[in-house]
Amino acid sequence: MIRRVLGVGLTLAVLTAALAAPWLARHDPARTDFSQSLRPPGTHGHPLGTDQLGRDLLARVLHGARLALFIGGCTMVVTALVGGLLGLLTGWVEGWPSTVIMRLCDVQLSFPFILLAMTINVIVGLGLRNIIVSLSAAGWVVYARVVRGEALSVKQRDFVQAAAALGAGRARLLFRHVLPNVAPSIVVVASLQFSQFIVAEAAISFLGFGVQPPTPAWGSMLAESRDFLYVAWWLAAFPGAALALTALGVNLLGDWLRDTLDPRLRV
Amino acid sequence: MRVLTMLVAVLVAAAPALAQDRIARKEIVVGLAAEPRTMLAVTIVDWTTNTQLEHMYDRLLDRDPKTLKPKPMLATGFRIVNDTTWEFTLRQGVKFHNGEPFNAQSVKATLEYIQNPASKSHYQAYWKAVKEVQVVNDHTVRFVTDKPWPALLDRISLTDFLVLPAKALKEQGAEKLAQHPIGTGPFRFVEWKRDERLVMERNPDYWAGPAEVSRVTFRFIPEFSARLAAMLSGEIDIMKDVPPHVVDAVDRSGRAKVRSAVSSRINYLALMTLKPGPMQDIRVRRAMNHAVDVDELIARVLQGRATKICGPLSPANVDWAPVECYKHDPGRAQALFKEAGVDPAKLQLTLDTPSGRYPLDKDVSQAIAAQLQRLGIKVNVVVNEWGTHLDKVKNRTTGELFYLGWGPAIFGQTVVEPLFKADQTYASYGNNKVVDDKVARAITLVDAKARAAAYAELQKLIHDEAPWVFLWQQHDLYGVAGHVDWSPRADEKVWMYEAKVTGR
Amino acid sequence: MRRYVISRLAQTALVVFLALTVVFGLVRLSGDPVLLFMPTDIQAKDVDEFRQRLGFNDPLAVQYARFLGGAVRGDFGQSLRYQRDALGLVLERLPATLLLAGTAVALTLVVAIPLGVVSAVRRDTLLDHLGTLATVLGQAVPGFWLGLMLIYVFGVQLRWLPTGGTGGIAHLVMPATVLAAFFAARIARLTRSTVLEALGEDYVLTARAKGLRATGVIGKHALRNAAIPVVTLAGLEIGQLLGGAVITETIFAWPGLGRLTVQALLNRDFPVVLAAVFVTSATYTLINLVVDLAYGWLDPRVRVT
Repeated sequence: MIRRVLGVGLTLAVLTAALAAPWLARHDPARTDFSQSLRPPGTHGHPLGTDQLGRDLLARVLHGARLALFIGGCTMVVTALVGGLLGLLTGWVEGWPSTVIMRLCDVQLSFPFILLAMTINVIVGLGLRNIIVSLSAAGWVVYARVVRGEALSVKQRDFVQAAAALGAGRARLLFRHVLPNVAPSIVVVASLQFSQFIVAEAAISFLGFGVQPPTPAWGSMLAESRDFLYVAWWLAAFPGAALALTALGVNLLGDWLRDTLDPRLRV
Repeated sequence: MRVLTMLVAVLVAAAPALAQDRIARKEIVVGLAAEPRTMLAVTIVDWTTNTQLEHMYDRLLDRDPKTLKPKPMLATGFRIVNDTTWEFTLRQGVKFHNGEPFNAQSVKATLEYIQNPASKSHYQAYWKAVKEVQVVNDHTVRFVTDKPWPALLDRISLTDFLVLPAKALKEQGAEKLAQHPIGTGPFRFVEWKRDERLVMERNPDYWAGPAEVSRVTFRFIPEFSARLAAMLSGEIDIMKDVPPHVVDAVDRSGRAKVRSAVSSRINYLALMTLKPGPMQDIRVRRAMNHAVDVDELIARVLQGRATKICGPLSPANVDWAPVECYKHDPGRAQALFKEAGVDPAKLQLTLDTPSGRYPLDKDVSQAIAAQLQRLGIKVNVVVNEWGTHLDKVKNRTTGELFYLGWGPAIFGQTVVEPLFKADQTYASYGNNKVVDDKVARAITLVDAKARAAAYAELQKLIHDEAPWVFLWQQHDLYGVAGHVDWSPRADEKVWMYEAKVTGR
Repeated sequence: MRRYVISRLAQTALVVFLALTVVFGLVRLSGDPVLLFMPTDIQAKDVDEFRQRLGFNDPLAVQYARFLGGAVRGDFGQSLRYQRDALGLVLERLPATLLLAGTAVALTLVVAIPLGVVSAVRRDTLLDHLGTLATVLGQAVPGFWLGLMLIYVFGVQLRWLPTGGTGGIAHLVMPATVLAAFFAARIARLTRSTVLEALGEDYVLTARAKGLRATGVIGKHALRNAAIPVVTLAGLEIGQLLGGAVITETIFAWPGLGRLTVQALLNRDFPVVLAAVFVTSATYTLINLVVDLAYGWLDPRVRVT
C-alpha cells in the first residue's frame, strides 16, 4: 500500500516538475552570471545554490526532470518495441531467422554497453538526440533475450499446447496467449530499464560523451559535479537526489503495474 | 562484533605506506593522470612519457628554467664550426646505469636510432636536417646538417635528444630497452607496473651529484577527484592540474599547498578564415577581439589563474616582443561590425571546444558565448571529444570559432610556423603571403639581434591581422604536500631531481 | 549434447568474427588515428608519411584483409600508442579485470540472491520495503558517484581504505562493492519478482495446502523455476561486468581491461580496441553458452535449439 502510494506520488512529482519547470523555476537554466558562481544553497534567489558559471541549480534540476523523462521515455519505447517484438518472434518461430537475430544479439552484447554507446557517440557526435540513439542501440537486446526466454517457456505450457491442438492459428496463439504471459516481464524489464537509462546517461556523461552543457540533464550535471566535489557538494547532491527519487518512483510504479497485470501474484 | 573489529584491523594493516614512512625514507609519490607510453627515450613524443623518462635519461644541453638559456648537461660546451657544423664537447667520467661509459659513440648511436625507419620514432621528423653525427674523438662529436639550421641548439636542449646507451642498444635491442630502460639520469629504473605505477630509485653515481630523494614513484590515477582524494589522504605528494576553484580547499586542508607556475602553454580562440565565413573579414576579427572581455574571463572563470597575452607569443617565449593589447570595447566592436556590414543581432556563430583538455576550456567557451550574447550575437557551443576536435580542426569542419591551446611554446618557430600557414594541420589562418615570407625569413636567422627584430615585426603583423582572439598563458597549478620542497617550472617539467623531502 | 556444444562453439567463432568486423568498420569511421598520437607541431607531410607507413592510406578492403589475416594468427598488430603487441597488452590487463569482476559476482551471489528470496517470502514487511529501497538506490545511484562518495568517506576522511590502485584486499573492497552495487540490485529485484511469481503457481499452492513447509516448497520447486529469468539476466550482466568495469577502473585507478579499452577508443588506438573486443566478446559468448546449457538443467521442459 505504502509502496503504491510512494510510487505514484514520486512519479507524479517528477511529472509535475517536468511539465511546470518553466514556471516553478525563477531563472533560465542556461543563463550564466559570473558574479554568482558556486553559491551554496540558501543564497538569496538561489534556494539550491548555483554552479560554477552562476547558473541556478533549482532551475537546472527542474528542467532536468523534463530531459530525464524525455530520454528515459523515448529510449524505453524504442527498445521495448524493437526488443520485445524480436524476442517474441525468436522465441516463437524456429529456424534460421531466429538464430541470426540471436547471434546479432550476442554480437552486440559482447561489447559492454558503455563502450558500444561510446563508439556510437564518437561517430555520430555528442548531444541529446544521439544519446537516445546510442542508449536504444545498446538497450533493446535485454528485452529480446528475456522475452525470448519467457516465450520459449510459455510455448511449452499445457494451455498453449491445448489451444494449438484445438486449431488456434499461430497469430492468435501469439497474441491471445503468449503475449499476455510475456507482458509482465516486459513491464518489469521496462521499469528496470527506465531508470537504468537515466543512470546510463550519467555514466556516458562521466566519460565525456553525454549530453553537453548547457543542456541540464541530471546525468551530465552529476558528471560535471565531480570536479567540484570538495568545494560545492550541492552540485552533486541535488541532481543525484532527483535521479534517485525518480528511479525509486518509477520502479515502485512498475511494481504496482506488474502486480495488477499478473493476477497470479495476488496470493 | 569481534569479527568486524578483526576485519577492520586486517584492512587497516594492509593500508598503504603512510606519509610518515615516506618522509623518513625520503621517498616521493607523484600522481599523474596518464602513464608513459614507453620506457625507451626519443621514440614517442608525449609529455607524460618524457616527463618521467627524464628522470632516467639526460640531454646534451639543459635549459635554465628562469633565463631559458642553454646550460651544459652531458655536453660541457659547444661551438659553431661552420654554417652546417656544430661541435659539442662531452662530459667525461659519466656512466650509464649498467656501467657502460658515456661517450661520443652513445651520441652517434642515439641519432642513428632516431633516423632509422625501423625504430618508428616520432623524432625522426625533428632531426631530418641532421645529415650525420661525426665522432671526432671519445669526447667530442660534431652534428653536420644539410642546410644551416639555427634551431639545432634549441632542439638539443629539449627532450628531443635523450642519450641512449650504444652498447646496450646493440646487444639487447630496442624492445628490451623499451621495457627496462638504461640511461645516465639521476634515477635508476626499478619497476613499471603498467597503468599503475613507475618506480625509480636514486642513482648514487650521478655526475651532478646524487639526488636528495631516494625513491620516486609515479602513480597513474586518471580520475581527477580520485587524484585529489589521494593527495588529501596523504597517498601522493605531488599532483598536477589542480583546477582554480579547488585551490582554496587544498590550501586549507593542511596537508598540501598549491604552487603555481606560469606556463608557456597558450590558449586562444581561433577565428576560422580558411573557409568562407564572417571571420574572413579583418574588421569582424578585430571586432571579436574588442567584444570578448578577456580580463573578465580570467577573473571570473579562472579565478585569476591565467596571464593574458596580446599576440601570438607569450612572455615565456624566447622570441617574445611586446605588442599592444586589444582593449575590451563593445562600442568599438559594434562600430567595426557596422563597418563590415554585419549586424551582430543577426549573427549566428558556432564555437567548437574540447572538454577537459585545457583548464576549464568548456566553461570558458560557454562564458565567451555569454559575453558575445551581450552584443546580440548567438553562439552555439559545440563540445567535442578530443579526438573529434582535432579531426574537425584538421578537416576545417569546425564552426567559425574554435578553442585550442598550444604548447609548450618556448620558441617562436614552433608557434608561428605551424599555426599561420594554410597548409598546416592545425592552422586556422593562412594564405597571407606577407606573413608567410616573414615567417620563412625569421626562422632562418641565426644572429640574435636580427632574429629578435624579425620576430618583433612578425608579432605586430599577426596581432594586427587578428587571426585569433588572444586569450592567455595557462597557470600550471600543482598540489604539493607540506613536507615536500619543490617548485614547478614554466616548461612543465616535473623533475624530482630538484625536489627535497623535509621532515615535518 | 556433444553436437550441440560443438555447434554452439562454431557459432561463438562466428559471433566473435562478426563483432570484430563491425568494430573494425565503426572504429575506422571514427576518424583519423594518426593525428592523435603524433605531436601537434609535426609537419603535415611527416604525418602523411607515418600514415603511409602504418598502412592507413591503403583502401579499406585491403586494410580489412590484412587485419583478418593477422587476427587469425593472434596478431592484432602493434598498439599505436604504446608501440607494443596489442593482444599482449590486452591479455596483460585481463587478470586484473577478472579479479575485480569475479569478486563483484561473488559479492552479488552472496548478498543479492538471498535478499531477493527473503524479500519475496516476507513480502510487504519492513524487510521487504528496506530491501526494495536498497535495490532501487543501488540502481539509481550512478556507479561513479557512489565510488567518489566512498573514496571521500573511507579514503580521505576515515583513512580506512586506500583511495585506489592495487595491493591487498583493502584495495579490492571499494571497487568491488561499487561494481557489484548495480549488478546486485538488479539481480535482487529480479529474484524477488520471479520468486513471487513462482510462489503464486498452482503447484506451490497445492504443496503448501498439503502441509509442506514454506522453505521446503521454495527450495525445491519455486526457486528452480524462478531461476530462469535470473540466470538469463545474470548471464547478460556478467558479460557486461567484464568490460563495464570501465568506470570503476577509472575511478579507482584499477589497471584493468575496461580502462584500457576506453583509453584506446579515445585515442583511436585501433589495434588495441580490436584486440580488446576480441577478448571480451570471446569470453562473453562462452559465458552465454554456459548459461544456455544451464537452462536445460533448470527447466527440463525447455530444450534450447
